[in-house]
Order: sequence, then C-alpha cells, then structure tokens
Amino acid sequence: MKRIFSGVALALLPVILFLCSCSRPKSPLDASTIILWEQEDAQVAPYIDSVLAAFKKLPENKAIRVVRTHYQTEDLRSQFQSASLAGVAPDLIMCPSDTAGLFAVSGFIRPVDGLIDASKYNKTVIQAITLDGKIWGVPVSNGNHLMLFFNRKYSKTAPKDTDELFKFCAAEAKAYKLDFCMAFDMGEPFWLMPWLAAFGGWPIDNKTPALDTPAMRSAINFYLDLKYNRKYAPPECDYNCMDSLFKEGKTAFIINGDWAISGYQQYFKKDLGLGLMPKVSSTGLWPAPMVSGKYFMISSGVKPEKLAVLQRFMEFYTNRDNQIRQFKELQRLPALAEAFRAPEITGAEIARVSMEQISKGRPMSMATEMRAIWDSARNYLGLATSRKLSVEDATRKMQENAAQKISEMNR
Amino acid sequence: MDIIYSIYEVLWFALIVLMGIALIEGYFYYHFKFYARRWFFPAALVGFPLAAAALCRALGLAADPVKPFLWFLGSEALITLFFRHIVKGRNKLAYLLLAPAFIGLALLLVYPFIFEIYLSFHDLKLTTIMQWKNTGSLPFAGIRQYVNVFTTSPLSEVTFWALLGRTLWWTFINVFFHVAGGFTLALLLNNNIRFKGFYRTLLVIPWAMPQVVAVLAMRGEFHSQYGFINIMLVKLAAAYPILAGLGVGPVQWLSNYPLTTCTLINIWLGIPFMMVVILGGLQSISSSYYDAADIDGASYLQKLRYITIPLIRPVLMPAVTLGTVWTFNNINVIYLVTGQSGGTERADILVSALYKAAFTYNRYSYSAAFAIVIFAMLFFISVFYLKSFDAAKEER
Amino acid sequence: MNKEAAVYRRKKIVKYLLIHLAIIAFVVVCVYPLLRILSVSMRPGDKLISTDLSLIPAGAAFDAYVRLLKETLFLRWLWNSLLITVATSFIGVSLASTAAYAFSRFRFAGKKGGLILLLSTQMIPAGMLILPLFLMIMKLGLMNTYLGMIIAYSVSSLPFSIWILKGYYDTIPRSLEEAALVDGTSQVGAFWRIILPLSTPALSIAFLFNFTTAWNEYLVARVVLFSSKQYTWTLGLFELQGQYITQWGMFAAGSMLVTIPVLIVFLYSSKWLISGLTLGSVKG
Repeated sequence: MKRIFSGVALALLPVILFLCSCSRPKSPLDASTIILWEQEDAQVAPYIDSVLAAFKKLPENKAIRVVRTHYQTEDLRSQFQSASLAGVAPDLIMCPSDTAGLFAVSGFIRPVDGLIDASKYNKTVIQAITLDGKIWGVPVSNGNHLMLFFNRKYSKTAPKDTDELFKFCAAEAKAYKLDFCMAFDMGEPFWLMPWLAAFGGWPIDNKTPALDTPAMRSAINFYLDLKYNRKYAPPECDYNCMDSLFKEGKTAFIINGDWAISGYQQYFKKDLGLGLMPKVSSTGLWPAPMVSGKYFMISSGVKPEKLAVLQRFMEFYTNRDNQIRQFKELQRLPALAEAFRAPEITGAEIARVSMEQISKGRPMSMATEMRAIWDSARNYLGLATSRKLSVEDATRKMQENAAQKISEMNR
Repeated sequence: MDIIYSIYEVLWFALIVLMGIALIEGYFYYHFKFYARRWFFPAALVGFPLAAAALCRALGLAADPVKPFLWFLGSEALITLFFRHIVKGRNKLAYLLLAPAFIGLALLLVYPFIFEIYLSFHDLKLTTIMQWKNTGSLPFAGIRQYVNVFTTSPLSEVTFWALLGRTLWWTFINVFFHVAGGFTLALLLNNNIRFKGFYRTLLVIPWAMPQVVAVLAMRGEFHSQYGFINIMLVKLAAAYPILAGLGVGPVQWLSNYPLTTCTLINIWLGIPFMMVVILGGLQSISSSYYDAADIDGASYLQKLRYITIPLIRPVLMPAVTLGTVWTFNNINVIYLVTGQSGGTERADILVSALYKAAFTYNRYSYSAAFAIVIFAMLFFISVFYLKSFDAAKEER
Repeated sequence: MNKEAAVYRRKKIVKYLLIHLAIIAFVVVCVYPLLRILSVSMRPGDKLISTDLSLIPAGAAFDAYVRLLKETLFLRWLWNSLLITVATSFIGVSLASTAAYAFSRFRFAGKKGGLILLLSTQMIPAGMLILPLFLMIMKLGLMNTYLGMIIAYSVSSLPFSIWILKGYYDTIPRSLEEAALVDGTSQVGAFWRIILPLSTPALSIAFLFNFTTAWNEYLVARVVLFSSKQYTWTLGLFELQGQYITQWGMFAAGSMLVTIPVLIVFLYSSKWLISGLTLGSVKG
C-alpha cells in the first residue's frame, strides 16, 4: 500500500512538470495590440466598441487589435497601479481626470505634450488635465459638470436666480403638494463647489486649500437655510434618494451631472427640462460647476515605437465625426473645439444649455491635493449640516485638516 | 462549446491541485521514511532543491534557476534538520494530514505578509513609487511608520485611541448579538416543529444574498423619511401618543447615528451564520444527557446552563473567535452604508480608516504598518480568547 | 388523569404556537429586504429606493430580467461561478476534514502554534493583500485563469473549516475509534468509516461556508480575471454599477437570481445539517 503510494507520487512528478510547462498561457502583448482599460457605465460599451471596430476597418490598421477591458472606477485605479508596478500596465486608460493627478505624480502615465495639438481642444478641458505645465491626457469628452434638471409638469422654465427658485418653492411647489421643492446630494462636496463659487470662493488656489473663507461659510449657511429654515430640500438625501424623488415626481428640481442626461431623457421624454444652476441673488454670481471630462492617458511603460500607433488611435477616436457621434449617442459634449461649434451640437437645445453651463464652470484641478480637500470638506460639511458643529468651527477645521492631510501625504 | 471547455478547464485545475497535493505528500513521506538514514541528508540536499529549481524553470517562474536553487537548498537543509532532530518520525500521519493545508496557506499568505512587513519598515508613497519600480529599493524608514500609527490618526476628528475603543465596542456588540440571536434561533429551530427546513432556509437569506444588495436594501429601510423603520416609528407614535411623549419618533439614522445603523445592519447580516453553526453544534449533543436531566427534574434553564452551553462550546468557540476577527476587520457594511466615496467618519473603525490612508492618500507604508498593528492586536485578542477557553475547559 | 393530560396538551400547543410565532417574526425580518430587492428589480426606471412601501411597484415588469439574460453574459457568469465554487468547496472541505482530524486526535510539536497560525491568517485586512496578490498571480502566470482562484478560495476558507471540524471531532468520543483500531482497522480507516459519517453536521457547515464565501467573492476575482467571458457573476454584476449611474433594475434582478442557487444548497444541506442526530444513538 505504502509502496504503491510512494511510487505514484514519484511517477507524477515528471508528468506535472510536463503538463505545467505546456499549460502556460501565451502572452498576448505585442506591438500591434492596443490594450485599453475603461471605467464607463455599461450602456456606453456598445458605442466604444463601434468606434474600435471602425478604427480597425481603416486599411492602415488591419494588423492592429484593440482589446478593451472594463473596470469599475475604483478598480481601474487600483488595478492600474498594481499592473504598472508589475510592469504589465495597459497601453491606454480612459477615465475622468480625478485620478490623473495621482498617476502623474507617481509616474505611471506620461505627458502627451508633443503627441497632440492642445489648441485643437477646448481650453477648460485641457486646463483640467494640466499639472505643473504638462498635459497628461487626451480629452475624449467635455463635461462631468453639474446642472439643473427640472420636471416640466411642475415648472415650464428654469428659474434664473435663487429668488425665482424660492418663489416657485413657496407657491407652486406647495400647490402641487410636492414632498420637496428641490433635492440634491448635499453630503457630497462636489455639489457644494458650484455654490461656493457663487458666493465668491473656490476650494483650491494653486495647490493650497482655501476652505476657511467667508464664501465657504455663506455656502454652508445657504445649505442650512435650504434644509432647516425654508425646508425646500430634504434633511437627509443622497444621490439615489434625489434620483428617486425626481423620477417619482416628488420634487421639481434636482442638480445632477451631465452623465444623467440620457437616462432622464429616456425616462421623462418631453417632461425633462434642463437649465443653468440658478444665479445666487444675494451676490449676483453664477454657480460654477467643476468641469473636466474623460481622457485617454498613456502608460509610462509604453515603448516609444508604439506611440505612433497610439497617437493614430487617439486621433481617430477624437476626430470630428466621432465627437459628434459621441454626442448623438451618449449626450457627451465634444472636447474638440471644431466639433464643439458644429451645427449638430449648437442646434440641440440640451447641448446648448449644457455648453452654456460649461462656460460658467471652472476646470477641476487635477492636483493630488484635491483628495485631501474632498475628504475634509465632506467630513466637516456633514458635521455642519447636521448641526454637530457651528459653521465657523467647521470651516476652520476643514482648512486645518486639509492642510494637515496634504502635509502627511507629501511627507 | 465554451461550456464544455470550461468544465474541462476546471477539471484540469482540480487535477493539478490533486497532483500538487500528491507531490507534497510524497515529499514529506520520504522525509518520514528515510530521515534517520545517513545518506538521506546529502541526498535530500542535492535531490529536492534540484527538482524544485527544475520545476520553477519549467513553470517559467524564474529565468535564472540559480537563485531559487540556493533558496531551496537553504530551506531543504532546515526541513531535513527539523525532521531529523525535532520530529524524529513521530506523528507521521498527523503531519501528512496537515501538510497540504498548511502549504496552501503558506503559499497564499506568507508572501503577502512578508511583503507588508517589508513595506512597513520602508517609505512607499506616491513620490517614491517609481523609484521602487525602477530600482527595486525604497528608502528605509525604521520604525517611523509605527510611531506614526500611534501618534497620528488617519481621520480628522477621531484619534487613534478613540478609534480603537470604537472598534472594540463595535466588535463586541456585533459578536454578542450574532451569538445571542443565532443561539435563540437555533434553539427555537431545534424543537420538533413543522416546516423546520423551510424556516431554516428562509432564515439564512441575509447570509445567502449578495452582501452588497442586502446592505443597500437595508440601508434604504433606514432612510429618514421613506424607510420602513421610520414610517413604522411615525405610525407608532401617532397610534400611541404616550410613546411619542417618551420620545419615540422618526430618527435621522444615516446622518445622526451612522454607526448604530451600521451595527444594526451588520447584526442582521451575521445572525444566520451563527445560527447555522450553533444548529450544527446542537446536533453533537446526545439526547441521553437531556433524558437524564429530565429524570432529575431539571428545569429548562438548568438544562441550558449545565448541558447545552458547555457541550456546544467546542463548536461555538472557533466561530466566536473567527467572528471576532472578521467583525474587527469588516468594513463592507460601513463602506456601503456611509457612502462609497468615503462618507462620514463618525462610523469609521480602524480598518476603514486604514483603507482611507491606503487608497485615498496612497500612504502605502503607513498603511502597511497600520495593518501590522491591527494584526498584532487581533493576535493578542485571540490568544487571550483561546487561553480563557482552555481555562474554562480545565475547570469543567 | 385525563384532565391533566388535556392541560399538558394545551400547554404543548401553546408552546409550539409561540415558537412558530417567534420564528415567523424572525423570518419576516429576514425576508422583507429580499422582497424589497424583488420590487427594485421590477420597478421601472432604475430606482434603488422608493418613497412608498408597496412591494409590487406601479408598472411592475420583468424587463430587467429579460434584459439581463439577453444583453449580458449573465448565464455564462453564473456557470463560471458555479464551477469555481463547486471545485473550491470540495477541495476545501476535503483538505480541512483531514487536517482537522490531525489537530483533534494527535499530540505533536507545533499543534497549538498551528491552530493559532490558522487564525492569524484571517487577521490581515484583506484590502492590504491586493497588491502582493497581484504581483504573485502575475509571476505565477495565473492571470485570467481559474486555477489561482480555486486555490486561493479553498485555502482562505480553510482556517474556519479546520477549526469548526476540530471542535466537532473533539466531541466525538475516542472510544469509538479505539474499538475499531482494536479490530484491526487502520487509523485512516477509522477516520473514514467512523468519524466522517458522524460529523455530517459540521461537514455541511464547512461546505456551506466554503460555498457561500467562494460564491460571493469579489476581491480576488477582480485581481485575477479580466476578460468578461471568464467573469464570475460578482464581477459581471458589478459591471452594471457605474460611478454615478447604476442599472439598479438589472442589478437587483441579478441579485435575486444568484441568491437562488445558494438557497437550493441550503435547502438540500438541511438534511445533512441535522443528520448528526444519529450520533445520539451511537453515544447513548
């Protein structure tokens, strides 16, 4: 019995050696394959695939294969880091600019200066991907900005300023027996920043946080007023909550990003109204949503001889025709200036409003310091709006804390 | 076609795993058999490392087989000496039974663990990451990262020690209610009642459901206005004004009591698992004990105290110990309830704070040190647990 | 006498009634969220939360299910998960059952240390293992294959399985095996013929644990797999979750569907979970 056992074990050894050596997968990475990772929502995938197919159809690209892999936003970041460290990073990633700062500072992506002509693209969208004087990505679309959505059943037009909005809330909204006049994700600082601008502030000033400002205090007081005094906005409401309230017709206005346009169009059909975030009457300033976009970024591990192919691919993906098609299918505004002015886009009502909102917005900084700012803003905004902290204390701590986190991060 | 291929693939992998196990068993078998022979030591030193290095080469793990060969040579010498002077051929069966499991664990966990320890004594962060990739070395930081763990906090308002207290409290409350709830349900189900299998299946739903959806669904029930719980509270207060006078009314769960909300949801999630474990444990108690107690006229509570609880302990103890470790390190619920982008830090426990440092600020070395500290704490807690369990056993 | 019996019977009925009521209360708490998810899956417009409590939403439809099956590779993902999970569960339980036997019946150098080592593998926060795991999987050439996942899953559930089985074996009196050993059975034979059949409740707990853990695992799968054909359902379903927009309807529909296999396994394993009752007769 024992002898049989040991004999079998011995006999298996060479077999295993042999089997393992031939079951190893062959590496798919070669010069004519472009590996692309993206983090788009599922309904965007067909569009990307159609562009990839069109690219392959061109005669000069016959030998080129583009492999697309999808990751969730957070996964894309961690996988890209791991893969870069292991030396197997994809050639291109397509993602919003907020992780770009991280990749640029750690050296995972390379600047695209010299590969593209930056003047062909809109200015804001290029600014949002510029850090330390270098451009770190090729813009694919322009936007990611917040704007006002409204239900035409309740209001025919978008209010121009907060006075008009409040008037509607005080009279018509009551008459329609709405649960709330308006709703937006008040816990996320991304929704606070436009208002902050409308009170004359901006969270970051050349890599240093500017949070303990009178403007920030006014913006938070504006929130408190909406929540507790006027009761126009729900006391506790996150993204999914505002989305449901709006879809169920229980609120007239919400503030959401351009990513939500196509979903709401399908759901509301003609009842969907789109407008600028209303001007704050007390200051006379417009809210300035943060504007960025989606970008191609090139891994720093890409061999120089492959750059030409990548350049051709990115140029094709962002050419005028594809930019316009991208707008038609996904409602995303072009980053290419030439396409931005095309009649197909300026003629559409939705795009007109969206573009106007972009013109009121400001580029989102890609500095890594923004992470600390988001984090402490989120925390102290939460404490202030649930009345655990006074507004003055909250903004003071917000600033101190952001500064401390930045120093820890860079230490 | 694909499906057939995938079956083939998995069978193939199962076969590889089996062969791996056979390989390990064979290896140890020879050590047990020949450890005392004089020729074995040199033969083993030549034979096994060569075979291992060849295996590495064949698998394509190392281009240059010299370095792994030296590694294997060293470890083989240690193993052979261990067999010769410590094991001495005793308990052969025990070691052979344990070998595959432990080698699997070592493969999967030793490397990551050493990796974390390495990081924790160096300085890996955003700006040094490229240096690490290109040169393979990092600036040495000594114990600075460990000092930072205790003196600074990854959160804004909460210090490390407050966070530790909160984590311990969270762990205790959760595990306590998991066991209490699971025990109650198991006792109820252990009666000879109808529809037992049916009930049991329904009761494990929180465990069986994908956690993400389960938590998000529960989170919806805690909404201040539209959640089931607050709607019930409002109705209750309206129906019985006395309760309203006592302060029963809608609560803003998510913004005012985030940690309580997380705890309630986590308790809900964890009870079924304990219930199943305890139910299985109850089966190991022979009914003769209860029959004897009945003859003595013992009450239900006495039977519970003197028969059920002591006898279920061997099965319950591992579940409680591991439950403690898991709860201590569990952030799924906190992450999903307080908002996926970081949320409020009033519900953060040590591990969720650690992930913030690691993934939001990319302070890899700091978070590695943090992870090692968490590991050490858990290690001491569980050793203490096991000691007290042993003590209780001796007492009996 | 007759009266006493009647009182006794009435008492018994009241007792069982109370037990049923208590269990049903718990069942409601457990099932209600599942019903809410069901209603999300049938709700038009991808809304995760709803402002009304009705379980059957206005305009309920099975669109999400149809779309999930038609537009995604959902069935393929389920199949992949099932294969991995089944392979994992069998490998995991068999390794654990033998290792636990060694811990329960032998005294050897490193026994206590080994038990604690098992526990300590669970103590490193899982998120910290992503980077080293990636590097390791990469070096071993196991990217996008199931082998790495099967090993990782079966090994990571080992500590719990071994501990629980050891605890259970400890309650089985040694006299049973000793009798068999005297009869000339080998130790392995005694384990196989006496201990294993008596431990079905613990074995089924270990199996259930292995099964649910592997079935719902995300982290390792995310690191290892990158082509959508190879995905497990966890990866596939999470594709539907975007940064802001999630297709909640399909997501919930998928969640309902993936819960079913687990419930079937539970229903079936019930038989084994309580079959230890035979132990009483052996012991008594």
